[in-house]
Amino acid sequence: MIKARNVHKTFKTPDRKEVKALVDFSTDIKKGEVVVIIGPSGSGKSTFLRCLNRLDEIDSGEIFIDGVNIYDKKVNINEIREEIGMVFQLFNLFPHKTVLENVTLAQMVVRKKNKEEALEVSRGLLHKVGILEKENVYPAQLSGGQQQRVAIARVLAMHPKIMMFDEATSALDPEMIGEVLDVMKTLAKEGRTMVVVTHEMGFAREVSDRVVFMDEGQIVEEGTAEHFFTNPVHERTKLFLSQIL
Amino acid sequence: MTFNKRSLITLGVLAIVTFAVYYFFSRRGITYIWHWERIPEMLFYYGGKSAEDAVPRVRMGILMIGFVLTLKISIASIFFAIIIGTIVGIARLSHEPVTRALSLGYVELIRNTPLLVQIYIIYFFVGSMLRLSAFAAGTAALSIFAGAYVGEIVRAGIQSIHKGQMEASRSLGMSYAEAMRHIILPQAFKRIIPPLAGQFISLVKDSSLVSVIALADLMFQGQQAVARTYHAFEIYFTIAFLYLVMTFTLSMATQYIERRLAISD
Ligand SMILES: Nc1ncnc2c1ncn2[C@@H]1O[C@H](COP(=O)(O)OP(=O)(O)O)[C@@H](O)[C@H]1O
Ligand SMILES: [Mg+2]
Repeated sequence: MIKARNVHKTFKTPDRKEVKALVDFSTDIKKGEVVVIIGPSGSGKSTFLRCLNRLDEIDSGEIFIDGVNIYDKKVNINEIREEIGMVFQLFNLFPHKTVLENVTLAQMVVRKKNKEEALEVSRGLLHKVGILEKENVYPAQLSGGQQQRVAIARVLAMHPKIMMFDEATSALDPEMIGEVLDVMKTLAKEGRTMVVVTHEMGFAREVSDRVVFMDEGQIVEEGTAEHFFTNPVHERTKLFLSQIL
Repeated sequence: MTFNKRSLITLGVLAIVTFAVYYFFSRRGITYIWHWERIPEMLFYYGGKSAEDAVPRVRMGILMIGFVLTLKISIASIFFAIIIGTIVGIARLSHEPVTRALSLGYVELIRNTPLLVQIYIIYFFVGSMLRLSAFAAGTAALSIFAGAYVGEIVRAGIQSIHKGQMEASRSLGMSYAEAMRHIILPQAFKRIIPPLAGQFISLVKDSSLVSVIALADLMFQGQQAVARTYHAFEIYFTIAFLYLVMTFTLSMATQYIERRLAISD
């Protein structure tokens, strides 16, 4: 489903230094697979996700999604993005829209659904993430956990083939992490294709098919969650795990 | 509630100034014979207008006719300034260097030359080439002038919106234009209402400059009335008051809109 080949991505900082975010990065993610990406801050995890829907552009290499080279000039990037949902660390709900409008908007603007249809889908999804009773509330009146669940419903409303989560629980107070992880676990068990950047190793152990450890723009080590708990091989992996566990 | 306080303060200041003028005159022994009784008929009067139109009815006096024209030109200019400003604000942030340079050039050119000069140029040069009426030329000049300032305000408004908003919109499959229209601009406009209100209040006041191209606005009619009656103080006070009515209504309206939009905060 996702195929990345020899991807390089370098950022230029404002003071003209070059930062290598992805270095000769290759990986394959199969349909229905739940992949958890871990790694220290600045190791290129977000950059990889953002290159998958071209919020950032790769410098060289290739990324295929469902066999389509998404960096091909003939590709309409908006169509690719419809199929790849992204959940952000800071939720990024639309503050001037109610909860229901947040979930409904893209269905109408992008998918061209009529209002009734979109509302029905939205209500179903808000129910699924357990927040239907807040449908007419503005995001500012919600807790972080509630906002993130709305953000997940907003992504689900597009029926994406792939869902990406970039540290979706890192900005939450500890008591709210569980409610968001629960929703993510439900999605994982539905057989969705998910790429999840998180340091919640409990989540990784419960639902992931594979854990990828990244450092300095490269994959250092990958395997099942169990592998990382029991016998990680590389020194860098061990060091990192000792910090987060 | 802050609004009520501010309106009271403004009215209070106006009253004090009026009183001070009277006081100053009386202390200096200036004997100016006030003719306030001549003002009402310059606003409304009952009667015929001319030999051809002699039917007596309530008619607008000279100042009220000017007031209506100022109102029209201000509303039209605000409308076009918003359109120009939005386009310019977006263009200033374009990825196209040419678009960026052109919009910057427009803003700098307009902001660094006097409005009066722009009005003359548009009226005598552009206006006569395109056969614009004085009203069209005046509106064009004011819109182009205010549009440059509105453009800068809009640009700042867009830049103040967290970049996560654009990223969330784009990642849902919206085009840049769709994201701008549904997500970025509504939030930006909400945030820039106070500076926009200030800009539009300036525009109403600046509209008095179009009297130089013989557009019969409030200022122009007032000058005519002064030339005819010599009641300069009364008339200019009335004019000032009428401008105040407009700017005041405008700031009242924007504060109302601001309060209404605050529900999502
Ligand atoms: N827009 C950017 N401009 C400059 N440098 C960036 C930008 N985005 C990311 N980087 C740099 O790229 C590297 C990888 O970043 P990122 O993918 O965000 O790491 P992670 O998500 O693993 O913490 C870091 O060194 C970061 O500073
Ligand atoms: Mg990151």
